[in-house]
Order: sequence, then C-alpha cells, then structure tokens
Amino acid sequence: MRPVFAFLLLSLLCACQLNNANVSPDAEDETDNDFAEFDDDFVEASYDTETAENADSSRGAGGDSFSRERLEVPKKYAVNSDEEEDGLVENDDEFEHFQDEEEFEGYDAGDTMEPPIDQKTEPKLKIPNIPLHFRTHWDSYWMEMLMVAGLLAYFANFFAGKTKNARLAQLWFSTHKALLDENFALVGDDGKVENENPGLIKESESLYTLWCSGRTCCEGMLVELKMIKRQDLVSLVAGLMRPQLDQAHIKIELTRGLMDSFVFAVGSKKTISKVFKEYTDLTKFCSLVAKPEDRYNVPSGFGVLSEIPEATSAILESRVITALNKYQSYIDYLHISDQFSGQVQQEEGSTLKQPETRPVLLAGFNLPKHAEMETIKPLLLLIFYLMERLKTYRMSKEAKAKADKNRLRVEEEFLKSTHAARAEAAAQRREDKRKQEKERVLAEEDPEKQRRWELKEQKRQAKKNAPKMKRLAVKSL
Amino acid sequence: MSYTVDPRRKEKINRYKAPKNQGQGGGANEDMMPDYMNILGMIFSMCGLMMKLKWCAWFALYCSCISFSSSRASDDAKQVLSSFMLSVSAVVMSYLQNPAAMTPPWAS
Repeated sequence: MRPVFAFLLLSLLCACQLNNANVSPDAEDETDNDFAEFDDDFVEASYDTETAENADSSRGAGGDSFSRERLEVPKKYAVNSDEEEDGLVENDDEFEHFQDEEEFEGYDAGDTMEPPIDQKTEPKLKIPNIPLHFRTHWDSYWMEMLMVAGLLAYFANFFAGKTKNARLAQLWFSTHKALLDENFALVGDDGKVENENPGLIKESESLYTLWCSGRTCCEGMLVELKMIKRQDLVSLVAGLMRPQLDQAHIKIELTRGLMDSFVFAVGSKKTISKVFKEYTDLTKFCSLVAKPEDRYNVPSGFGVLSEIPEATSAILESRVITALNKYQSYIDYLHISDQFSGQVQQEEGSTLKQPETRPVLLAGFNLPKHAEMETIKPLLLLIFYLMERLKTYRMSKEAKAKADKNRLRVEEEFLKSTHAARAEAAAQRREDKRKQEKERVLAEEDPEKQRRWELKEQKRQAKKNAPKMKRLAVKSL
Repeated sequence: MSYTVDPRRKEKINRYKAPKNQGQGGGANEDMMPDYMNILGMIFSMCGLMMKLKWCAWFALYCSCISFSSSRASDDAKQVLSSFMLSVSAVVMSYLQNPAAMTPPWAS
C-alpha cells in the first residue's frame, strides 16, 4: 500500500507544479482589474527571490530544463507587463532592495562568486567564535565535582553514622534491660494511648530516649542517650578539635516528700563549673566546695557543689566514694536537688511567678568508647542505691533549719527582684479595671448616672494630681 | 547495692509526656543546630538566587543537608524539604543562567 500512496502523492505534486507553470499570463491580462499591478509586482518579486534560492540547486543539478522553463516564464511576463503599463514605473523602487547586493550580505556574493573547489588543496574551514562556556571542558568544573563528591561523602557518612548510633543505643538498652525490668513496672513508653513501641524512642539520629516508670521512690526515670553526631560529617570534623563522648543522661523525678530539702552536686570539675552557672537551684543554693578531695575524699579532678555540708557528707559516704573512684572516667556528674527548676532564665524580670520546683536526681555518664556496655552497668545500680539512700536519710534539726532559712532567703530575693514588675502589673490591672468601668458607664443610657460618674472621676483625678502636703493649722496670733 | 524487696509498683506508673518546651530553645539539652542551619541555608539560597553566586547555592545545599541530618524526629519534615528544594533550585537556577564553571570566591 505504501508505494501506491507515495506514487499518488508524487503525482499530486507534479500536477500542482504543472498547474502553476501553465497559468497563462495572457489569461491574467484578460482580467484587467485593479489589483493587476500588485499581482504583477508580486510575481516579479517572487521570481527574483525564487531565482536566488534556486540558483544553486538548478546549477548543481546540471540544468533542470523544466524548472528553468518555469522560472523563465514569469520573467518574460514581467518584461511584457512593464512594456504594457508604462505609467507604473515607480513600483520598481519598492522591491528594489531585493536586487540590491548590499541588502543581503553574502547572499548574492555566494551565488556569483563561489570559489572553485580545489580537490588537491585542503578546504579552508572557518571556525566561528563559540562562547567559552559552550565548550565542554570538564576539567574546569573541578569545583562542582568537589562539591558533588562532598555531598556523596556526606550522605555515605550519614547512613554509616546513623547505623552506628542506632547500634550503640540498642546495645545500651539490651545490656540494661534486665536491670530496668527488675526495677520498673513500665520500661519504654512512647507516650501514645496504646504503647506501640516499648523501647527506645528515637528523637533524632543522635538522641535516643527511654522512659521508665512504676517504681518506689520515684515518679519516673528518663534516660537520654546523647550520642556523638556521627551522622553529621561537619560535627565529626569539629569533634576532632573538641573531642566528645557518647553520654547517657538520667533524670529521675523523685516522689515529693521523699528526700529532705538540700541541693547537692558532684562531678568532673569542668561539668560542675558549667552546671553551677546553668541551673537555678545550684546557682541560688549551693557554693563550690574548696578542696573537695580532702574534705569528702572525692577523686581528684572532681568538684562538689554543696548547700548543707551535713547532707553532702551523708551522700558522699564510703560506698559512693568507692564507686566514684572506680568509675571516675565514666561519671560526668550527679545532681540531687529538691528545688530543681531547670535552667537559669535569661529574662529574669519578666517572670512574676516563682518557677515550680520539684525534687530530682540527675546523673550524666560517659559511655565507654569501645561499646563495652557491661562496664557501666553498675552505674545504674549506683543510681538506684542513691534513691534508696535519699529515702532513708534524714537531716539533723539544725541542718533542716538552715535549709528552710535558705529557701526563705531565695524566695525573698525573688520577691524583691520582681517587686517593681509586680507593682507595675498591679497598676496595669487597676487601670484596666477603671477602663472597663468607664466603658460600662458610657454604654448606659442614663445621662444622670454618667454625669455622676464623671464628677466622681474628676474628683478622683484631682485628688491624685494634687500635691501631697501636710495640713498645717495656722494659729492666728 | 542489692535489694530484697521488689521495688516495682504498678500503681505508680506514669505515662511518658514529651517535654513541653521542645523546639522552643528552652530545653536543657536542646540542639539548635538544625534551626541555625535552616536559616543559614535560606540566606545562602537567597544569595545564590539573587546575586547569582554559585558557591552560595552550593553552601545552601550543604546547610540543608546538615539541617536534615540533625533534625529531630518530631520536627516538621516539610521545613527540611522546603529548605532542600530552595537550595536545589538555587543551584539549578544559577547553572541555567550561566552554565560556566564555578569560580571560587577567592579567585574572582
């Protein structure tokens, strides 16, 4: 079928061509209408362009007699028409630019002055000026390659780091699970109605949390496994300069009334000086103990923050000191407080209410470098031991009195510091109340009432603005 | 350090409550890295788009990568995604406008 269609198409084309060629000029002459002159011009113009276009092909083809004949016909006609209509000479000017050699640069020139192709000599190739960036010099893209390589390295490290962190956290959990199960009725909670995921909760790629609850002495225990950000290449590089360790932060919310009122902290000197500034309870109640090695026998490199010396020495008894000595490198800090209220607030004046305090036991442990989690298992036992100790320990009367005095002092300090703010707030409240009253009175329709209120208000204002002075009775002499 | 009595108490079970101030910068161990990187990435993206600085666009891409890797599970994933899209579009646009190789900031 296809050749038949092709043949039909070809024959149709031929027919069209023949029709064009056979349009007789005389026939058009006969229809001497108003547009004849435009038609003539159009034919002339089309002839010129056509000749220019087809010049090459016709020459190259070795003289296609048919096409040449076809092209010559309009030329003849054009001449004839010029001869016939002498008055329309100005029309030549309109399409003169088609014949202008300078109008089309290199157009006619190529037509007329084509250099003879020399087979023996190499043809002269003219390379145009291509803009620099279109040339594909992949070497110049070295920065991009570096960036892409960096991105690939980052993501490779991301997956490796996150897997390692997850593995370490899981290892910690599996090592301590038996001990936790023995101590807590609920181990691992995601906070949802149905506990869908009992176990570690992934907060981020480097932070895992575990909630345990259902034990005597405490409301709950939150373990935060704060790993090195192995998934982040930038943090890893930063860690080369400032080495970090995987850490486990334990926060136990003690039952109210379980422990006597005192604040105490022990830990590596660096951490102690940091938390001393950070936490409100430590800042307000404690003082840094000088020479704690001699006084409490803590290992060298450890600092002690103490409020009541009696309580501090009771906590730092021989068993705890032994544990501190043995696991010195793994213990970052221990913080026991009945007045814990979080970090120091930056904007001190803005809070009018004293922050809520609660008794807590906080601990920070460094995880061993080579994933030997068994070595730090006794540290969790130490925490449970401390809890039991806090439950049984009772301070002497003097120490209790001192602690109460301290709490009173802190409260007074707070009230004093917020006095101005509180006075301002009270004034604001009064002003608001007055405004509301005014609105209420203005909303009422009784003019008598309004007038009375205005009078009262004026009197009040006058009294307020009047200079305060003592009334002196002047005796007339 | 061993106990004879079972310390477990079923009646004392308290369910886990996520800290209220999470993401507000008030937490003790709050990590602000993802937020900083998000903002930095946005600034770099804008610089890359507006000033046609290719290295800025690339830095924006790195910033959004860091923001992604250190974001919390509770964080809004849309924010990280939009940061990524912005930085990628900054890179693509800067190379569409000028496909020439990047010149380091110290060379120009």
